[in-house]
Amino acid sequence: MLQGALAGLAAGGLYAVLGVCLTLMSRLVRVVNFAQAATGMFGTYVAVWLVSDAGLPIWPAVAVGVVIGGSISALIGIIIGTWLPEADTGSRSAVTVAVLLFLISLSFILFGNRPQPFRPVLSGPAFQVSGVVISQVAIFTVVVAVLVALSAHVVLTKTSVGIRLRALSERPTTAELVGIPARTLSVAVWATTGAVGTLVVAIVAPTQSNDATALSMLVVPAAAAALLGGFRRLDLAVVGGLVLGVLQGAAAQLSQLSVARHFLPFLFIVGLLVWSQRKEVWDAAR
Amino acid sequence: MKTAVRATVVAAAGVLTLAACGGDDGGGGGGGGEIVVGSVNTLSGPATFPEASEAAKAVFDDINENGGINGHRINYRVVDDKGDPAAAAAAAREVVASDGAVALVGSASLIECQINADYYVQEEILSMPGIGVDPDCFQTPNIAPANTGPFHDMTMTLLYGSEELGLDDICVLLEIAGNTLPAYQDAIQRWTDITGKEPLYVDDSVPYGASDYTSYIVRAREAGCAALAINPIEPDSIGQLKAAEAQGWTDVTWLLLTSVYSENYANAVSETGEGVYVPAEFYPFTDADSPEVQEWRDLMLANDIELTSFSQGGFLAAKYFIEVVEGIDGEITRESVREALHTMDPIEDPMVGTPYYFGPGDTHHDNTAGFPVKLLSGTNEWELAADDWLHIPED
Amino acid sequence: MRLVDRPWTAHQVRLTRLARPFMVAAVAIAAGLGLSAALPGYYVYLAISVIVAAVALLGLGIVSGSAGMIALCQLTFAAVGAWVVTGLNVAGAPGGFVLWLAAGGLVAGVVGLLVGLPALRLRGVNLAVVTLGLAAAVDVALVQVQFPGTTEGRFVDRPGPFGDDRSYFILCVLVLAACCLAVHFVQQGRWGSGWKSVAFSERGTAAAGGSVSSSKLTAFATSATLGGISGGLVVGQVGLALPASFTPIQSLALYVLAIMAGAYLIDMAIFGAVLWVAVPELLKRWGVPQDWGFVVFGVLGVQALTSGTNLGMIIRTALWRRSASKPVAPTVSDAAPSVSDAAPSVSDAAPTSDPAPHPSPAPARGSMVLEVDDLSMSFGHVQALRGVQLAVPEGAVVGLIGPNGAGKSTLVDVISGFLPRATGTVRLDGVSMAGRSPTRRARLGLRRTFQQDRVPPGLTVGAYVRYVARRRLAAEDIAEVLDFFGCPPERTRLADVDAGRRRLVEVAGHVLAQPRILLLDEPAAGLSHDEHLALAQRLRQAPARFGLSMLLIEHDLDLVRSVCDTITVLDFGEVLASGPQADVLADPAVLKAYMGETEML
Repeated sequence: MLQGALAGLAAGGLYAVLGVCLTLMSRLVRVVNFAQAATGMFGTYVAVWLVSDAGLPIWPAVAVGVVIGGSISALIGIIIGTWLPEADTGSRSAVTVAVLLFLISLSFILFGNRPQPFRPVLSGPAFQVSGVVISQVAIFTVVVAVLVALSAHVVLTKTSVGIRLRALSERPTTAELVGIPARTLSVAVWATTGAVGTLVVAIVAPTQSNDATALSMLVVPAAAAALLGGFRRLDLAVVGGLVLGVLQGAAAQLSQLSVARHFLPFLFIVGLLVWSQRKEVWDAAR
Repeated sequence: MKTAVRATVVAAAGVLTLAACGGDDGGGGGGGGEIVVGSVNTLSGPATFPEASEAAKAVFDDINENGGINGHRINYRVVDDKGDPAAAAAAAREVVASDGAVALVGSASLIECQINADYYVQEEILSMPGIGVDPDCFQTPNIAPANTGPFHDMTMTLLYGSEELGLDDICVLLEIAGNTLPAYQDAIQRWTDITGKEPLYVDDSVPYGASDYTSYIVRAREAGCAALAINPIEPDSIGQLKAAEAQGWTDVTWLLLTSVYSENYANAVSETGEGVYVPAEFYPFTDADSPEVQEWRDLMLANDIELTSFSQGGFLAAKYFIEVVEGIDGEITRESVREALHTMDPIEDPMVGTPYYFGPGDTHHDNTAGFPVKLLSGTNEWELAADDWLHIPED
Repeated sequence: MRLVDRPWTAHQVRLTRLARPFMVAAVAIAAGLGLSAALPGYYVYLAISVIVAAVALLGLGIVSGSAGMIALCQLTFAAVGAWVVTGLNVAGAPGGFVLWLAAGGLVAGVVGLLVGLPALRLRGVNLAVVTLGLAAAVDVALVQVQFPGTTEGRFVDRPGPFGDDRSYFILCVLVLAACCLAVHFVQQGRWGSGWKSVAFSERGTAAAGGSVSSSKLTAFATSATLGGISGGLVVGQVGLALPASFTPIQSLALYVLAIMAGAYLIDMAIFGAVLWVAVPELLKRWGVPQDWGFVVFGVLGVQALTSGTNLGMIIRTALWRRSASKPVAPTVSDAAPSVSDAAPSVSDAAPTSDPAPHPSPAPARGSMVLEVDDLSMSFGHVQALRGVQLAVPEGAVVGLIGPNGAGKSTLVDVISGFLPRATGTVRLDGVSMAGRSPTRRARLGLRRTFQQDRVPPGLTVGAYVRYVARRRLAAEDIAEVLDFFGCPPERTRLADVDAGRRRLVEVAGHVLAQPRILLLDEPAAGLSHDEHLALAQRLRQAPARFGLSMLLIEHDLDLVRSVCDTITVLDFGEVLASGPQADVLADPAVLKAYMGETEML
């Protein structure tokens, strides 16, 4: 059971990173990005293609993949920022649903649906404590999740860019009036989260089975993680991702939960929503 | 609410346009000396099998260039079912009813047999899939695939593990889709009947297409499995091997099925524990210089078709079909093809261990041979694991 | 034409409005019969797929179009319907396929309720996350569990006379026609108005006494029901239920298609379904890989979502333009001038103080309808209201004035229940409103209008005022009140009414609700000077005529001066002065607060 729970850490770390990205986007550019994991998937597949078909070494290939993931994300950001600058979160997020569909189908066409011959960057166990194995990937994803959350926190609270970003998210029109380059900044947010998402997926995907749909649907547990922090708090998003991963790992050990365990992210989401929305809130500011 | 009238008109216009585009070749038999042959395949969506019909098409093109069958050209109609049941049923109706196919040859689909078996009986048409996947490909009267099938393959991989490799403590992990569970249970039972051995445990709850299999691997390791017999699709198997690698579990033997036997797979995994063993349903194509696969190999390379078990299956189905149809005197129609297949003599081929036979039976699960191959750690290459075919002993 | 046929009674109009959808359905069924006979077999089978998709899209149109929510699990509900049908088949349940189909729809509706219920206040995006999570989970679970009878290969037989493809297609046409009729009438009724209202503004819905959560739940459950029926139809079509029919990616594609086609319109849902089948079919004909289908949907979906338009709207507008060029019906552009013509006549009539249709309740002056005591509200460190005291006597019109940012609108929000964190008491007829939601308060007779546009453009004037009034109304009563406030006639679409007059419709609707008190938040914004004066006169008559009291929030002193006897002045969240108009306006403190305010005139 303990081993199973710890085995869930790698997945949990991945959920946490994506959850942090989702939280950042929700806070800074008012979008729940359903294409977050799909963007990462797409960038990763480009990297795989570069390694297997164009013969590039792995690290440059991953770098190109990350750039592509970031650019796709930025492009979505530009589209949304241009045509729906004042729309509510719902309408803006709906666009990313269409993008999700687009990216999955396009990846079938471009890359096929065979698993890619991808040499993992990290593999094997990191260390073993009294028979319990912790894998390198688990360590990596957990560390990245914490790092991303911490650095985002520092950037947002300590630097002038961060303060502008927050102003932007809280009062977009006013921010624009006082000369904050709203569009540039929000596109930068899109690009950054896209790139971070791609990087993690590129490193974790080769250690798992990696078909396009499964990778894109990672956005569901990631959203569950982000919801623990109410799409506001980065630390809770990290915790949410890890807890969900560990719970899933533990549940897989019990065969009587064989069907129920698929519903864990869903139940997690519903439970959190019921809790966080127990008080009535209203749609518009007034 | 005038709008609804408009809607009806729009809908009707749409359907009619399609009908017009579709042409009206709804006759039977195909005029002008053409033989219409159909094939229903999963060509788009998350899991696709394009090579079987590509290979069959290459065979038919070859025949057509050499004058066709007794002067009749073959019009090979390949239809995509998208892995979607409604589309699979529509696809069968398209080739059978609209195009008037005389038979279906070289299909490879996840769901097609199950959906269309009854329809084929109703339309009195026979199907020779290149690769049959679900149990109805093997257990219905009008379908007889060219391949051995995953169920016999499961029995064989267990036989190889317990008898050739001498392994005890084999655990079975099953990825169940559709109606396959009882067929796999029968396959495991057959192994038990032959060897008197039981699996350590059977977990039939392993999900298809999951992103992380670590927890299942951890469970198997803690249960003390020495070998894992699994029926995975390629990406899932890669995930499972990598999960074991991440856990540092290196003394496990993998007893898998032909579904993972590809060069792509060999390139994607390097750490395979004590080795991956597969009873290949056709003569191992990775044994490139062997005479058994030369004809197939040359044709595939010439047509730029991937070398996989699927293309072997499609190739064989088309060859069998041609051989049977060439023996027909008189007109080649659905009836005459049916008659010929029902009364055919078994066909030998170096690429299979059991001769192909359609015949009038209610089930077609008689191909009981596989050729063991293995993939050892760090080699990234499949090797022969035996000198001869592995047969399931008769009861 | 309609103008010529004047002597149509309201009854006759109602009858044709009821009968016409049935006539259309009959025509559609006849067309279906024709198609089933004329099409080649393969196309009949494709046409069945079109109908299956159309039923699912009808449902999605309700959630995504009418009610404005993102629901990404339509095929999960279809799977529920399919499960019920296959389950009943395996169990050998009585009733046969058609009954099982209905049962599947019902169970899917209940599941929809259960999924929606825990997240009652599903804000748009949250619902999307919940539904995507559900779709993903059910997908994996289904592959593992399998539908009843799949393992044994138990096929679901089509019902007796509908055994072959052609006749099953006819059955599908009948089911679709029934679904379209049901959706049409529900859309015309209270539920439909509620959906459109909640899609446009949750606050507006609550202020009209509508429950936001039950509107969303009914939309979601109705959509799920239709999803379930479509799933049952697939089972009849294929004979088997397989998880591959209900994957999340197909649910995503259907959602995008619903948006793209504008599936909240019944004809466009059917049009969308034709696309759903025709696009892959055409790709197949052209030899293009099928995966391009969803790529195309994805691109068009982004286009539709970012531009806020959809194919349905574009096609309809084009058709509407063509028919508008022929002078058939009194179009809105015709109607609009007649309204402004009417306006002066009303103001002419005003001084003659026409007799009230309502026996105005004995104006027992002194009894307070609304009492506000020691009301405070702060946002973070900003104290928006501080110890505000206010009372509105029976039958009075009290003015609430103050410069911009004085806290007027905050006060209205607090009184109407939108800011439950405020301290202090609000009493309606002596009963404390503490702990009551805006919806509750509205139903008790505490109504408000909004400074911003909260009138859903998707409705007609008549449907909107009926929804807001929340009671049975005779057409004559509606016409009278609309006329009184200078609103366009009942059948006008609100989308065609300008913003200023839309606010008048809002006022008229709330007046028709016969509230105890009506809070009007700057009702004159967006009106011309003449309309301003006309409105002032009408407002002055309203208490006597309709038996209500009013609190008029304005920063335009002219309007307040001409309507209100009593005035309360708010400044920096505090009551600066309160009392009879003359006294308050003479108060030096008030003058000082307003000094420099350009709006003061």
